[in-house]
Amino acid sequence: MTRLTLTLAASLLASTAYAETTITLYTSQAPEQAQQTVDAFEAVHPDIKVEWTRNGTSALMNVLRAEIEAGQVQPDVLLVADVINLGELKAGGHLMAYPEAPVGAYDAATYDPDMTFFGTKALTTGIAYNTDIAEPVSKWMDLIKEENRGQIGVPSPLYSGAALNHLHAMIASDIGWQFYEGLNDLDIVPEGGNGPATKAVASGMAKYAIIVDSNALNAKASGSPVDYIVPEDGVSFITEPAAIMSTTEHADEARLFIDFLLSEDGQKLAASQGYLPILPGVAGPEGYPALEDMTLLGYDADEAVKTNDAVTAKFADIFGL
Amino acid sequence: MSLANDTAKRPLRALRLPLALGGERGLLIALVLFVGLLSIVPLARLAWAALLPGGSFDAARIAELLGNRRVVEATVNTIWISVASTLLATVTGTMAAMLVTLTDMRARTLWVFGFVLPLMIPPQVTALAWVQAFSPASPILGPLGLALPPGTRHPLYSMGGIVFLLGLYNAPLVFLSVRASLQRVPSSLVEAAQAQGARGFAVTRDIVLPLARGGIFAGAALAFVSSIGNFGIQAMLGIPARVSTLITLIYRRLNSYGPSALNDMALLALLLALLTVLGMALTAWLGRRGDQRVDTARRLPRRSLGALRGPVEGLAWLYLVLCLLLPLSALVGTALVRGYGQPLNAETITFENFANALFHHEGIREAFATSLWLTLATVAVLIPVSVALGYVLTWREGWVARVLRLASELAYALPGIIIGVAMILFFLRPLPLIGTGLYGTVWVIFAAYLSNYLALALRPILGGFAQIERGLDEAAQLAGAGILARLRDVVLPSLAPSAAAAAILVFMTAINEIQTSVLLVSSRATTIGPMIIFLEEAGSSTLAAAVGCLMVLLVLILMGLSLLAGRRLPDGVLPWRD
Repeated sequence: MTRLTLTLAASLLASTAYAETTITLYTSQAPEQAQQTVDAFEAVHPDIKVEWTRNGTSALMNVLRAEIEAGQVQPDVLLVADVINLGELKAGGHLMAYPEAPVGAYDAATYDPDMTFFGTKALTTGIAYNTDIAEPVSKWMDLIKEENRGQIGVPSPLYSGAALNHLHAMIASDIGWQFYEGLNDLDIVPEGGNGPATKAVASGMAKYAIIVDSNALNAKASGSPVDYIVPEDGVSFITEPAAIMSTTEHADEARLFIDFLLSEDGQKLAASQGYLPILPGVAGPEGYPALEDMTLLGYDADEAVKTNDAVTAKFADIFGL
Repeated sequence: MSLANDTAKRPLRALRLPLALGGERGLLIALVLFVGLLSIVPLARLAWAALLPGGSFDAARIAELLGNRRVVEATVNTIWISVASTLLATVTGTMAAMLVTLTDMRARTLWVFGFVLPLMIPPQVTALAWVQAFSPASPILGPLGLALPPGTRHPLYSMGGIVFLLGLYNAPLVFLSVRASLQRVPSSLVEAAQAQGARGFAVTRDIVLPLARGGIFAGAALAFVSSIGNFGIQAMLGIPARVSTLITLIYRRLNSYGPSALNDMALLALLLALLTVLGMALTAWLGRRGDQRVDTARRLPRRSLGALRGPVEGLAWLYLVLCLLLPLSALVGTALVRGYGQPLNAETITFENFANALFHHEGIREAFATSLWLTLATVAVLIPVSVALGYVLTWREGWVARVLRLASELAYALPGIIIGVAMILFFLRPLPLIGTGLYGTVWVIFAAYLSNYLALALRPILGGFAQIERGLDEAAQLAGAGILARLRDVVLPSLAPSAAAAAILVFMTAINEIQTSVLLVSSRATTIGPMIIFLEEAGSSTLAAAVGCLMVLLVLILMGLSLLAGRRLPDGVLPWRD
């Protein structure tokens, strides 16, 4: 009996010695890439385990809102597409500030001045086209033509953060709402995320798709008949920011995750996944157009957070969603 | 068994329930609580949220919501798709049943197994497989030179494609119903017609089919209910094809707007329920108007196909090859390449996707594990409950039991997504006394399963009760055994084959299901059914194909195991056994 108790006690103590902390990540990265990011982080920090869940950014925000309402917030860290959704969370006081984040070498425009979220890479949203069945165009409104009826794959801002970001960038620019009204006239209803839109243009189901550069260029590299255009009137861009939830019980481990994403290793990982890194000095993937050569469509992020509800309501109204 | 021994085994006085709660009354109360909390209350909550959100009935809001052009479009699509696919399923299933029952076709048992197999494969896997088979990057048609050129619109991403797949998927339901009906057609009527000089086809058309009418329409009702609620196929094909149906509209709106859309979606769910009930009522009415004579004593003699035997059998097996082998092999082919659209050959073949699905992606492994233990737990709870409910229904008269049965049948017949919305509404707020909420946990999915599958478990058990000696139970009652002791020691052993069959049926239906859990899965609790939809949404087609293959493998293993147990199970319960 004594031996049994002692063995039990010893094994319990031994198990605590190897105890891992587990943090939960909510991300909008594609599943393979989310797994790669988590694997790379766990390789550097073997005593921290990361459980991740993936969904489109806007859909993820709905899940988070339900969890906040039910008082059961799950994630410790977020790695989502755009700053508008995170800006809304920040305005609600749900993000934890991390003033000591290693952002010394980064451009100030890539992270929040209040240090609640930090950009990790640069993705532009432009026009992908199927080289077998479509011709390249040079402006956004060139797509609004009768022969493209039903043939453009457009992700929805109600699901995808990149698409939401693109919507705000377009309406803040000279193009305005007419692009989306034009899509509606062509019977094109934005739906889902960048993944299915990429698949549609790669398989020939659509002639064009409005997707992020990494999706289009990764598909091109795997042999799909796809190419990526940067229109002259500009592209929108997202920085896929990471943030810590204020309700986290593992703040130290969460900070380590942010540190990893902002480190040189994290940036090299991003480049290997087909993204443009934003740490100066880390080379981007081959064959990518340089950011300096593009016209980047920007907008006031704080303003966007305030007007987001009205903008998405008008969007839903145009397409009858 | 003397009374003295009996007394010694009774529980201590302090632990005995008061008389009002003990015995059968207590059992009935427990059953009412079970079915009430799991089926009746959530559905009532749904109706409340739909019609009276915030406490007041606002006809203008309802009119505005139902008049929205997307909602009208989705409703019209739903009705058209369900009716058309029911017609297709009825024609196909009836022809197959006639072929198997009335002719002397060879290798019937094997053909029936193959014909019924698609019903056991999860619909989203079926849809994925067919999409891969006919895409321009098809791993099967490509090497044969039959693949469609890139740039053509995929033929299945259309209304016709959805109708086609739904019809194919539900044909076995009609087949089973019509076959059971054909086996009971009185052969004396056929002989009388033949004595009058009627030949072959005329006999079938004028005598046999009208007598089988009840079975045909019962099968059509099942096919209609299954079509209207089939989320897997409608989502996999309808969302890329932009053919909106009520079910996918509810799913997309809830994803896009979150809990704020719940009340409006509850209204759409109610509309869907109304359509389902209307369809069931219509087919029931149509079926009742036929001749109902049956004769179970002698089966109809089989007609020889004569010279037509070769071509007919060839066509039948060709049907199986096209509908089963083609899509499944395309699924396997897609799972074996790395990049979507790559041709499958010795250089590109890779088991990476399977390795990812099984070992690398924790989420997928956890989903399999969650589905497995959820299904086992559901079976473990539902079998005793349905035995108890079956006892009350069969041997005790009473309106309470009939209401319970009706509630459970409704919960089963309604599309699973309605139960999903009802459960979200019911469990969103933290529970009143306990304080924590169940929202987003695996227990909500468990509750939805219990609600949904009670009727499925009940049917074979009711069939089993019909064959038990009631006298045994009464004798045990006279000797003083309480209700639980009687259920455990007298009823259950005689009922074992039916209970086992019910357990297998519920297990196989629940393990790969998608409708019920697709709205309820969260970061903490995922089941394997919706996993394929999520992987497709995220753009990981090859990984989705690998998961689909694994799900089919699981189904085949389970069906094979049940066939081994074969002879000990009652006839007619498991659809894939002839």
